[in-house]
Amino acid sequence: MHRKSTGYLFVLPALLVLGMLIAYPVAYTGLLSVTDNQGNLVGLDNFRAILGARATPTAFFNTLWWVVGSIVFQVVLGVLTAILLNQKFRGRAIVRSVTLIPWVVPGIVAATTWAWMLHTEFGIINYMLTAPGVLEEPVGWLTNGSTVLPVMIAINVWKMFPFVAIMVLAGLQSISNDLYEAARIDGASFWEEVWYVMLPQVRPVIVAVTLLLVIWALNHITIIYAITRGGPANRTLITPIQIFRTAFESVQFNQAAALSVMFFAVAITVVFFYIRTTAGNAGASK
Amino acid sequence: MFAFREEVMRVFKTAAILGLTVSGLALSAGWANAGEVTWWTPNFNEARARELAEKFQAANPDITINLEITTTDGLPQRILTALRSGSAPDIIDVQHGWVNGYAQNDLVVPLDDVVTEREDYVPAALNYVTWNDQLWALPYRIETHAIIYNKGDFVAAGLDPANPPQTWEEFIAAAEAMTKDGKSGFAVTGGGEVGNTIFRSLPFIWMAGGAIISDDGTEVLVNSPETVRAVQFYTDFYKNGISPSSTLENDGTANRRLFIAETVSMYQSGQFDINSIRQENPDIDVGVMTIPHPEGADTAAILGGWSLVLPTDAKNPEDAKKFLAFLGETESQAVLTDTFPARVSAMSAERFNDPILEVFKEMLPYGRPVPSHPNWVQISQAYFDGIQRILLGDEDVQTAMDGVAADIEALL
Repeated sequence: MHRKSTGYLFVLPALLVLGMLIAYPVAYTGLLSVTDNQGNLVGLDNFRAILGARATPTAFFNTLWWVVGSIVFQVVLGVLTAILLNQKFRGRAIVRSVTLIPWVVPGIVAATTWAWMLHTEFGIINYMLTAPGVLEEPVGWLTNGSTVLPVMIAINVWKMFPFVAIMVLAGLQSISNDLYEAARIDGASFWEEVWYVMLPQVRPVIVAVTLLLVIWALNHITIIYAITRGGPANRTLITPIQIFRTAFESVQFNQAAALSVMFFAVAITVVFFYIRTTAGNAGASK
Repeated sequence: MFAFREEVMRVFKTAAILGLTVSGLALSAGWANAGEVTWWTPNFNEARARELAEKFQAANPDITINLEITTTDGLPQRILTALRSGSAPDIIDVQHGWVNGYAQNDLVVPLDDVVTEREDYVPAALNYVTWNDQLWALPYRIETHAIIYNKGDFVAAGLDPANPPQTWEEFIAAAEAMTKDGKSGFAVTGGGEVGNTIFRSLPFIWMAGGAIISDDGTEVLVNSPETVRAVQFYTDFYKNGISPSSTLENDGTANRRLFIAETVSMYQSGQFDINSIRQENPDIDVGVMTIPHPEGADTAAILGGWSLVLPTDAKNPEDAKKFLAFLGETESQAVLTDTFPARVSAMSAERFNDPILEVFKEMLPYGRPVPSHPNWVQISQAYFDGIQRILLGDEDVQTAMDGVAADIEALL
């Protein structure tokens, strides 16, 4: 009994810091969302105002596209890369390091570089496509309503697939050689090995990584904000950027808080699944 | 016994005096910034600000000016955070348009006692920073846009570079004539930060007799026939292929780069672009013209520029005011500005005599302040989104501006 209370005492400082850094902002955001800028309670007015804004539904659907598009390609590309990097070939160490580069480059640097490369007039991508005649006219990658969001997703995929690859690669390397040998004795081809040995073995890793990616995509600001600020005409506006713009550009902290609270509800659901899955994995592996 | 008590009292007294001295020392340690003035100024001002600070310190050896260099990207947010946090510097460089919001929220103090020779200031600059009949900032820099053009392109298109177009019709004709061989006659902006497009399209709206909101901020005028006509004029440059295909991602800087690369013949900007054009492409023969107006109307421009404010939470307001008074002097104003000084008498300084600046000077009297409204940021964002919907081809001008009007209505 005595020992238990001493334990609490030791944990207390950490709990206090956590409380100040996490619980307080969350609670304060909740309070902001139901008050006006003078601090008077206004009920659900902020929620009504922000839900009535023209940008909100646009941002919601953009976020959906953004998350789904990013995750699917990140995971598929990441897993394929991991399988490739798991093979034995010359220069494997170099290829493994090079693959990591997009993930290591700071987001803002990557975004600014991509913005320059994609510029209609002086971007290298249009230059490379028009010079040999692949395209007749330069494409307005960032100004054409139908290309801008896919381009953002592509940049996000490029940025994050190395992370998936490294995590899955770690999982692949922990697969016991016995399984491969057993499969080979049964006459399995390479792709059958992938399908019946590798993927089932790294499934827990893929699930955990996917949920992490969903959380990161939901919170994402850097790439889109640095390149388009959510434009043109809100074509790339996703909810986190709408929250940022409402709070820090329009100085409507209360409406931004209301939107954050709703967004928090969605994010916490994903986090809940993440914790349950990872806890399940830990239990299964024991 | 009495002697003993006296002795005790004396000890107490000494202790008390000692204690006072110690706490006095502690107090003065807390006031270590007495005699120090912290000044936030943007990076483009650094050299000139340092020069003035040294001059002031030479004359006032008991005051030290600490410069902190800011960058314009994200500056409004940074300043607002500092002003609200209660730990603000003593002097901040801000754009004229931001001052009103600070004044209304008591974040800065009035400077009526610092800005004394008012008759010597350009009236529009003072109007900008006036609220509730008080002056809330010291304006030191003013500027407007004009149109910068490539004289060589005029000649190549058979136009006379000495007689640039005056009216909208003449201007469209000239821009069309120069749009050939991969060149764009006139570049408008449709991307970047909202302010870029406000600065370049609102003057046309004013010339046509329109507005985004009424001066008293009670009425939405963004879908009035006058405004729609001007927005049509502005967006048609892109729709008709006169403005570059990258218009939707271009801000003022991008337009300057395109002009330097000789793919754009005309664009709107201030005199700060002239030097970089001359440095980066000396082959261009640069001309400057007033912004064309509709037949029978005056030209117009947004008056931009910078002011100095004294935050309510400044730690050393007395010395800051002394330094502000020094910065308000004619000689200081002639030095500090990157463009034109807010004081008329400072304009006679040698550096403002370059003939290329003549047209920019002519534009100054037509400069008007940006409307001041507590929700102006959201209003201008709504307007900018509308412009982008037109440029993207989502909506026609009237539909887009009707939509903007509905958005703004909710903000007034």
